[in-house]
Amino acid sequence: MKNLLLLVFLFVGITAFSQKQMPNISLSDLEGKKVSVTADFMEKDKLYIFSFWATWCTPCINELDEMNDVQDTWKKSLAVEIIAVATDDSRTQKRIKPLVNGKGWDYKILLDSNQELKRALGIVNIPYTVVVKNGVIVHIQNGFVPGSDSELFEKLKAL
Amino acid sequence: MKKFIYLGLLALTATVYAQEKGTVSGGFETNSQWYLNDTGLLDEFYNPVTHPEHPLRSNSYLFVNYKIKNWTFGVQAESYEQEALLNYNPKYKGTNVGTYFAQFKNEKIDVTAGYFYEQFGSGLLLRCWEDRALGINNALRGVRFIYKPAKYVTLKTVYGQQRTGFDVSEGKIYGADLELSLSDAFQFAKDELAIGFTYVGRDEATAVVNPKFSQLTNAFSGRINYSHDSFYLSSEYDYKGKDAVVQVKNQIDNNLIKPGSALLLNLGYSKKGFGIDGTFRRLENMSFFSERIAKGNQYNDMVLNYLPSLTKQHHYNLANIYVYQAQPNVILNDASLVKAGEIGGQIDLFYQFKKGTALGGKYGTKVALNYAEYHGLGGTFYILAPQDYQSDFIGFGKKYFSDANIEVTKKWSDAWQSGFSLIHQYYNKKYIQETYGEINTNIIGAETTYKMKDNKSVRVQAEHLWADSDKKNWASLLTEFNFGTKYTLYVSDMYNYGNEDAKLRHHYYSIGNSYRYKSTRIALAYGRQRGGLVCVGGVCRYVPESTGVSLSLNTSF
Repeated sequence: MKNLLLLVFLFVGITAFSQKQMPNISLSDLEGKKVSVTADFMEKDKLYIFSFWATWCTPCINELDEMNDVQDTWKKSLAVEIIAVATDDSRTQKRIKPLVNGKGWDYKILLDSNQELKRALGIVNIPYTVVVKNGVIVHIQNGFVPGSDSELFEKLKAL
Repeated sequence: MKKFIYLGLLALTATVYAQEKGTVSGGFETNSQWYLNDTGLLDEFYNPVTHPEHPLRSNSYLFVNYKIKNWTFGVQAESYEQEALLNYNPKYKGTNVGTYFAQFKNEKIDVTAGYFYEQFGSGLLLRCWEDRALGINNALRGVRFIYKPAKYVTLKTVYGQQRTGFDVSEGKIYGADLELSLSDAFQFAKDELAIGFTYVGRDEATAVVNPKFSQLTNAFSGRINYSHDSFYLSSEYDYKGKDAVVQVKNQIDNNLIKPGSALLLNLGYSKKGFGIDGTFRRLENMSFFSERIAKGNQYNDMVLNYLPSLTKQHHYNLANIYVYQAQPNVILNDASLVKAGEIGGQIDLFYQFKKGTALGGKYGTKVALNYAEYHGLGGTFYILAPQDYQSDFIGFGKKYFSDANIEVTKKWSDAWQSGFSLIHQYYNKKYIQETYGEINTNIIGAETTYKMKDNKSVRVQAEHLWADSDKKNWASLLTEFNFGTKYTLYVSDMYNYGNEDAKLRHHYYSIGNSYRYKSTRIALAYGRQRGGLVCVGGVCRYVPESTGVSLSLNTSF
């Protein structure tokens, strides 16, 4: 138990001086091309929304369905791009492409098939949304319930 | 623990003395459970659920990464106090350093020393990953070298021993993987074409006297990925060299030396509003562990490759009672139950009825169809000494599992949406779990979400399962209230009302709440856990029935 407490203290100490940058990791897109999550999403002052999802995660799909409906409106007032990071492993990975197209989603899709990016960001539960500006994580939204999308939009406008 | 403190200090000093300041990031997760006695929850012999000797247990993980220029240093400490949660590998004990690494990475070179995760191709020969819900952390401890001389070439080489508890395996693992993007190399205008080759070797000394198998087991694979416009195709073939078969736990069979193989084929077509995808897979004697004797352990300990069941992962609770697990193994001990692998596949279809059409309505209607069917691998089996088998290449033996399902999601208005599923499953319990029985189930599931003012919303999920044997019928209801976007409260119950034994008609109720803020989530719940398989990504862990209070917290920084 003592050890556990020590662990918690150490953790609190570390959080005090941490700064959150996007890790330098390359993932494949749906065409099999390698994409760097840092270098390829570096347009100055543009907001990049990385939404972590999986084909078996219903709230994730609800979130992406919602955002797909509103993203054109968002883009009218903000420089914003949504990237859907699929954390499916090889069990369900083959369902990504037909699902994305079947749903008519208009996103850049990245495949985090061995959860390298998810692990690096310390993500435990999905849906999980990370907003990146100039390579730095400026906002995190954990979970999705109805209304989260409009709250996110309000947040984006303030960033 | 000492080791861990030293490492922490090292990281801190590094920060202080480094001329250019690096960045620190990481995450913390703890899952605690207080197990209680429950006289109302009986097992099949009418014994009530009693809490284990240490009723208060938690699994905690803290990882810290320090990044400076091209270097990253990381350490993960893990704590299982007083003991690990029920049915986790007992090798997870106490508090200690779980993994650590140092990595140098630039455009062309990526070198890691220490613990690392890796997957070659679809993972049928090698996948090292972490899944805390399943208690899997099979990272390799050693050295990994990744070289990208050009944009279209990736060469990976690995060497290491596999993590087991806070220790590593006896078996040593060698691996290499080459991936070539031919469409990039030859600048194809439209098509995408990539090929890959893998080698994995496991070197493990054996205590078997006069072994008829070699210490080093070699495995090879080749794969191809092709896409043209809306059409795509991929395939992988894996061959695992001859090795002693382990049929019964802890028994290396020196008289049954067989190779293993896997064939995976996937093709599909998709365009906006429509997608179809088909997968075929054949597995023969394909389980692969970093120590031979590890085969058959219930904790996924020292598992070297990834053999998920290729079926739809349902989100309805009752659809996860009879879950298929891939059957890659050889069993010849009983004439009425022989196995050498599995063969089967699945088809998925996604379609969107457009907005403004009769079936689409104002917001469109989304439909997903899925069918999966798996059989035992057909062939000729010899039960009596000498035991042996000859498999057919395309041979469909006993049917193990099938699942036909349809899912419709429909948004009615800005505030209201629903989902509806119908599922029919066939589950051959005799072959899948090696006991007895066959079960046919029909499941109906419906959920609806209604959004009110101030981001308040309510979600109701109702399910019913009809089964023709085993525990028979179930009903389930879940209600979830979201008070704003940060706080959620839920109540749920699964009721096995159809059980033929009135004493076993249990309610598995649960009440809980969670609070989310930025990267932090904290959840507290009380209720009963149904005994059975907890599956993530087609890999499962058995959990016993329990009653208790659970608290979980996770955050990242």
